[in-house]
Formats: sequence, C-alpha cells, structure tokens
Amino acid sequence: MVVTAIVSGVTKSTNSRTARALALLAALALVATSCGADDAATLEGPAADIYAGTCADATDTTITVYSGRSEELVGPVFDAFTCETGHAIAPRWGGSTDMALLLGEEGERSAADVFLSRSPGPVGFLEGKGLLAPLDADLLDLVDSSFASDEGTWVGFSGRQRVAVYSTDTVEPGELPASVFDLTGEAWRDRVAIPATNGSFADWFTVLREQFGNDAAATWLNDMVANGARSYPNNRSIVEAAGRGEIDLGLVNHYYNYQEAAALGDSHRAANHGFANNDIGALLMVSAASITSSSNNVEASTQLLTYLLSEPVQQYFTTTTFEYPIAAGVDAIDGLAPLDAAAFGSIDFNSLGGGFEETNAIIEASGILNQ
Amino acid sequence: MVAAVIGAIGFAFPAGYVLWRNITAEADALDLVFSGRIGAPLWRSLKLAVAVSVTAGAIGTGLAWLVARTDIAFARFWYGALAVPLVFPSFIGAAAFIRAMNPGGIANDLLGSFGVDQTPELRGFVGAWLVLSLFTYPYVFMPVAARLRQIPASLEESARLLGDSSATAFRRVVLPQVMPSIGAGMLLVFLYAISDFGAVKLMRYDTLTRAIETNYLARPDVAFALSLVLMGLAAVAVGGEHLFSRSHAVTVDSRAPRLRRTELGRGRFVALLAAASVFALATLAPIVALVDWATAGRFRGVDTGRPLRIDTGDVTEATINTVGVSLATALFAVLAVLPIAILVGRFRSRPGGIAHGIVLASFALPGILIALALRFWTLRTGVVGAWLADTHALLIFAYVVRFGSLAIGVTLIAVRSVPPTVRDAARTLGANRLRRLTSLDLPLMRGGLMAGAGLVLLSTMKELPISLLIAPIGFPTLTTRIFFLFEEAFVTEAGVLALVLVACSFALTWALVLRRSDLT
Repeated sequence: MVVTAIVSGVTKSTNSRTARALALLAALALVATSCGADDAATLEGPAADIYAGTCADATDTTITVYSGRSEELVGPVFDAFTCETGHAIAPRWGGSTDMALLLGEEGERSAADVFLSRSPGPVGFLEGKGLLAPLDADLLDLVDSSFASDEGTWVGFSGRQRVAVYSTDTVEPGELPASVFDLTGEAWRDRVAIPATNGSFADWFTVLREQFGNDAAATWLNDMVANGARSYPNNRSIVEAAGRGEIDLGLVNHYYNYQEAAALGDSHRAANHGFANNDIGALLMVSAASITSSSNNVEASTQLLTYLLSEPVQQYFTTTTFEYPIAAGVDAIDGLAPLDAAAFGSIDFNSLGGGFEETNAIIEASGILNQ
Repeated sequence: MVAAVIGAIGFAFPAGYVLWRNITAEADALDLVFSGRIGAPLWRSLKLAVAVSVTAGAIGTGLAWLVARTDIAFARFWYGALAVPLVFPSFIGAAAFIRAMNPGGIANDLLGSFGVDQTPELRGFVGAWLVLSLFTYPYVFMPVAARLRQIPASLEESARLLGDSSATAFRRVVLPQVMPSIGAGMLLVFLYAISDFGAVKLMRYDTLTRAIETNYLARPDVAFALSLVLMGLAAVAVGGEHLFSRSHAVTVDSRAPRLRRTELGRGRFVALLAAASVFALATLAPIVALVDWATAGRFRGVDTGRPLRIDTGDVTEATINTVGVSLATALFAVLAVLPIAILVGRFRSRPGGIAHGIVLASFALPGILIALALRFWTLRTGVVGAWLADTHALLIFAYVVRFGSLAIGVTLIAVRSVPPTVRDAARTLGANRLRRLTSLDLPLMRGGLMAGAGLVLLSTMKELPISLLIAPIGFPTLTTRIFFLFEEAFVTEAGVLALVLVACSFALTWALVLRRSDLT
C-alpha cells in the first residue's frame, strides 16, 4: 500500500519513464509476494522439524515479542508455536541490548509481552527497573534453579558455554590450557584475544568478579593485557580471526565455531577447546526469556515460554543452532562437549543486572581498549 | 517561516531528549570529560574525524573537479559510479575489507598467488581511517560536482581574458565558488565519523561511540552525558563551518550554464587512473568481497552445500520496504529542510540560522538515540503519540530527522544560486508567489534538490538502528535482514541481500539524480 502511494507520488515529480519503471517494479514485486502467501495447513522447512502436525485454527490472541535472538534462529520456533496453538506472534527483532533499552524507555506503556535476550545481562537490567513480571512457578520448575532468576522474572532457555577457540595451524593440542588463569603465563604472550566490549564477555567477567572478588578479577585482566592480549569487537570476529590464523586463541561462546565451520567448511582452520569443567572459563551462559510487567497477555505468553522449554524446541536448539539444551531431558548433539551440570549450580546470574558498572570500570582501566 | 519553525522543532526532538535525560540524571557531563576515563576515546574520536574529513575532502574535491570540469574519459560513468560507496553500511564495508584482506580472504588469496605472504592486518586507526574515508568521500564529491557544474564558463573566461593562466583562473574564480560546498561536505563527513559505531568497532578503534554503547545498560546516565559531549562536539563543528561558509559568499549566474572543461592532455591518463583507483578500492573491492560471500567462495573452491535460508519472497519484501520508505524519506527530507534553507539563504534570518544548526548537528547523534528519543516522545504525547506509534509515518519521520542534515547543505546552496535579480524581474512582471516558485525557483534549484534527495536516499537505504527499533513490527528492511544473517554467519545470504541493496541504490540514484543531470 505504502509503496503504491509513494510510487504514485514519485510519478508526479519525475518524468514518466522512471515512474513507469518504478511502478512496474512495485507491481511485479506485489504480485511476487502475494503469490507466496498461501495458507498451508502444515509447516515446511526448519519449523516442520519442531512441529509436523496440522495447524490449529487461528485464535484472536497476538503475542508481541521483542527478540534479541535473531529471526534466523528463533523464527522457526515462533512459526511452529503459531501453527500448534493458533496464537499469532508479532516479533520485533533486534540486538538484546537495544531491545532492553527500548523496553526501558517504553516502560509500563510498552506493547511488548515477551522479551527474549541473548544473555542474562539485558534481562537483569529490566529486572532492576521493575519492568518484568514474575513468572509462573510451574514454568520456573522446568529448568535447574541456577538457570533462572532468583526473583523469578526470567528463565533460561538455551545454553552457550564459554570456551577457547584456537587456530589448528598454530596451536598444538598438547599446549592448550586447563584454566583461563593459565593464559597470563609466558607461553601465551601475544597470542590471545578477548571480546572486551562484548555483552557476553561482560556477563562472564561479572560472574568472575562475583566469584573471585574485584581485585582478583582486575588482576587477571591486567595480567592478560600485560601479556599482550588483544581486544576484538565480538565473539564472531575472534572465531574468524582464529580461523584464518590471525590470533592463536580467543575466549568466546562455543557455538560460533560450529557456525563458522558449517559456513566455511575446511577453509575454517579453528577448533574449540573446553576449559576444565570446574574452571570459570567453562561457564555456561544462558539465553533468557521473560514477560513484561506491562503485558496483558500473560497466559498466552507463559504458554510461549513453556513452549521454548519443550522437548522439540530444545532439540531444535541443539541440532540447528548447536546450543546446549537445558530442559526436558534433551541431550546435547554429538560433537558438543558433555556438560557436568553439577559444576554450574553455584553460579549466581542475578548479580548481572546491577554489576556492569564495576565490570566496565575494570575493563576500561585495564587499558585493553587503548590498543 | 512557520514551516521552518515546525521543521526545526521536529529535528530538535532527539537533542531535547538527551538534554532531558541529562537534567534528570546524576552524572555530570563536564566532570566526565575531565575525569580522564573518557579523555582517551574522546581524543581518538576527534583525531579520526579530522583525519577522515580532510582525506575525504581532498578525494571528493579532486574527483569532482576531474569529473565536472575536465575532459576525463567516461565522465558520465564516473559521475554515477563514484557516488556508490555511500550505499555500503559501514559495518558491511569494514567487514568486507577485513575479510578480504586477512588470511582466507579473496585479496589475501590473490596476493598470495603473487608471492605476497602476509597482507597487512587492517585494524585500529589506519583501518578505521581508510574505511571511513573511502565510504564518506561522496558526501564531498556529490555536492561539489553538482556545484562545479553550475558555475558558468563566463566567469572563468573573463579571468582568462584578463590574463590569468588556466590554473590561476581556477584557483581565483572557481575554487572560491565551491568552497562552501566543500566545507558543507567535509562537515557531514566529520559528523559521520564522530557518530560511527560500525566501522570503528570492527576495526577495534576505541572511540567515544564505543564508550556510549557499553554504558547504555551499565550506566545510562553516563551514556547520556557522553551523548551530550558528542552533541557539543557537533555544535562546535557546525559553528565552525558556519563561520567558514559565511566568509565565502557565492555569486551565481542563472540558467543552464555552458561549462568550461579543462583539457588534461597527457594528464588524462593519470586522471583516469586516479578515478579508477578510488572506484576500485571504494566500490569494486567491497562488491567483489560481497560477490565472494554471496557465492560462498565457490569460485575459490570453498563449498559447503548448505541450503539457503532466504527465498525470493524474503528478498522482494525487504527490497520493496527499503525502497519505499527510502524514497518517501528523501522526498520529505527535502520538503522539511527547504523552508529552513529559504529562510537562511534568502532572508538571512537568525531563527533560520539556528534551525539550520540544529538540523546539521542532529547528524552527529547515533541512530539509536534518535530511535529512543522518538519512542520516548510518542509514548508521552497522548493521542498524537498513540496515533503515530508503530506507523510508517513515524519511521519516515525518524529517518528524516536522522538524515535531513544531508539535504540541507546542498539545498541551501541551491536556494542561494537563484539570482535575486531574476526573481525581482519575475515579480515586476506580475508573477505571483506560487508561480515564481514553480516556474522559476524549483526549476533552477532542481539539481541541488535532487542531489540532496539522493544523499538522503542512499543513507536511508543502509540505515540500521532506527530501522530495527522504530519500524512497524513485521516490516523487514534489507539492512535489518543483512544484519541478522551476518550475525548468525549466514554469510552467503547476507552477501546476496547486500548486493541487492547496492544494485537498488545505484539504480535509484541513477534514475532520479544522475540521469537527469545535464552532464555533457
């Protein structure tokens, strides 16, 4: 509609040849899109792996979701949910931090019902502002209590493990470290990269601070810098840099290397190395789901969050996105290092929301950004 | 007058928001600046912005002169082709360079086959400077080339008759006439460089925008105080440019001028080489990198056989959305800044000057701040806000605020280039205000207005943060799709969509701006 109006607007101001070409383009495009939209009773593509049955009749419920996880990964889950329950989903896609800021700005007037975050930090931020509704106890019980907020405002729905990615060309498997604390040693001088400004690193570093104290955390980071560690903008750029031999080893979330390998095949020359299971370097980070306090759609939203923790969706997360399932007794796919769940029970993610200020101060003071 | 005031108020929304946030928060912007914690990033932002604007100014002006005033081969082609780099979102441009230059990339493979083992690692100041200069010089090139084509040969010929050499005549007669365009273009480059998130981040160059970004969640008050610093920096730059352009008055003749083209002689080859090298680095190289992604490196024997995650429907939908809102934005942006430009250019009004400054300085604000500001205001203005929320109108308004600054410089020059004598004559002949506007002002200003619209169009097509936060739900654009595909390592799909974006941008610029120019 908008396009047609605009094209006709343009018609008046430009000469007719351009206008005709544009109008034709728009018309063709409209035809093309309308052809694609037939109401299939069953799903196709990745969504069909989650739900293969026939679709339920549409209800008049629409759940508005602000998703910090991308359409490419979560889109099929939403499609399956809509097909199975009949509830429509209106998703706004964006970065987790941006979405949290937007929700913070919208406050009690937000149209959003559900917020999905890549990591606990952004939900912690909203929890701190009192903008998240307490979740249903049955929903919280679906995961280990360490994967949900103490205040019950968010629940984890998939896990990413912190690992070291290393260049298979320049690093011998025998020299790989057992702990992140080994990386400050001479053996790793000028070889290591960390994503110092990245959200998931900040989350991880905040947990490190909580466990070992500010002084120990700052000492570790300062020693890393003194040892020639470099900062990259995010996990992906580190995995890429390791894959092409630019760096020897980097601290990242585990699943990027699987994605890069899937995308680049043999030309990607990097592999994951897991730190010892009880090492802080092997922390399991969760992506988090929450319901806003402004939602007047709590029942359907709870249904959606429960769906995220159901067996087929947990299976989808591990097979398609190489993440760790954390509910419904689903096992991680072959090739993912097995997790020792007990080792993660003591982590307190609740410090994350308010803990960033100190984390940022330590990171900035370390000088790693001034390279 | 009224239109100009309304326009200025619209543009002042984000600044008002940042001020409001600062007033209601604890952090003190001044304290922060002198605290040393952000001194280093602030200094780096400045250093980068100055270096980039000087480089882009030199490249843009040089190329504009070659294309508009010399007998360089394929002038018409260069006129369009050299404007293309504006279409690359800076995160794509930087990523393309990094991926191509570094091991495993196409440039590295290519150099490797010539026996060069190690391409220099592109990063830090040099990386950010290179990428930003290459992708922003069109901000200077486009208006300067447009201006150069307006300056009639008669002035230059008079100077020649009075005994000046060709070069002297250019320096004494032509250059002063284009100085305001160069200044305006360099200002835009400067503002772009201090507000860029994408390229500096990927190049790992720690600037003020990074400090703002990492503080949003951790300490929002600090982030907003830093944004205020950014606005202050922008205001200083705008003020400086204002003084500069005031000292260069523009006198212009009317009608389609006869152009004087310098014959380059043997220099023609050098000129061609210069234009071709810039084109190769700033346009061809990223396109080759994108094609390489789009084909998943298949030409280099990398094959993964993974099914594609997007279909034709996805591509068409995103393309239509992008083209539609961008065209509308370009149109409204010119309409919004025209009254302000008329106030400033024709009546030299002080309120007009302030409005002009506000519009320009908005360009230094990161898109995400503009998006948050509009959310903030629409949710707090009752009926109007509720009526606007989640509409295409709000999205277009946000884009206009973000990019109106790109149109105002050329529009102002266009307004000034209508000679008062001609307008007086028309008035004497009894033409009313409307008639004068439609049959005199608009035709004479057309080139400038179109160039302004073109700049807005190209930038809107690649805009990311506003598109993510303000677009109505279920309204994907090319950049939002590219962003996520890229994030999830679906590089092939990202490459395909990025190529579509580049192709559309070029086709539109060609159809609406370049093809209509009277380039001979």
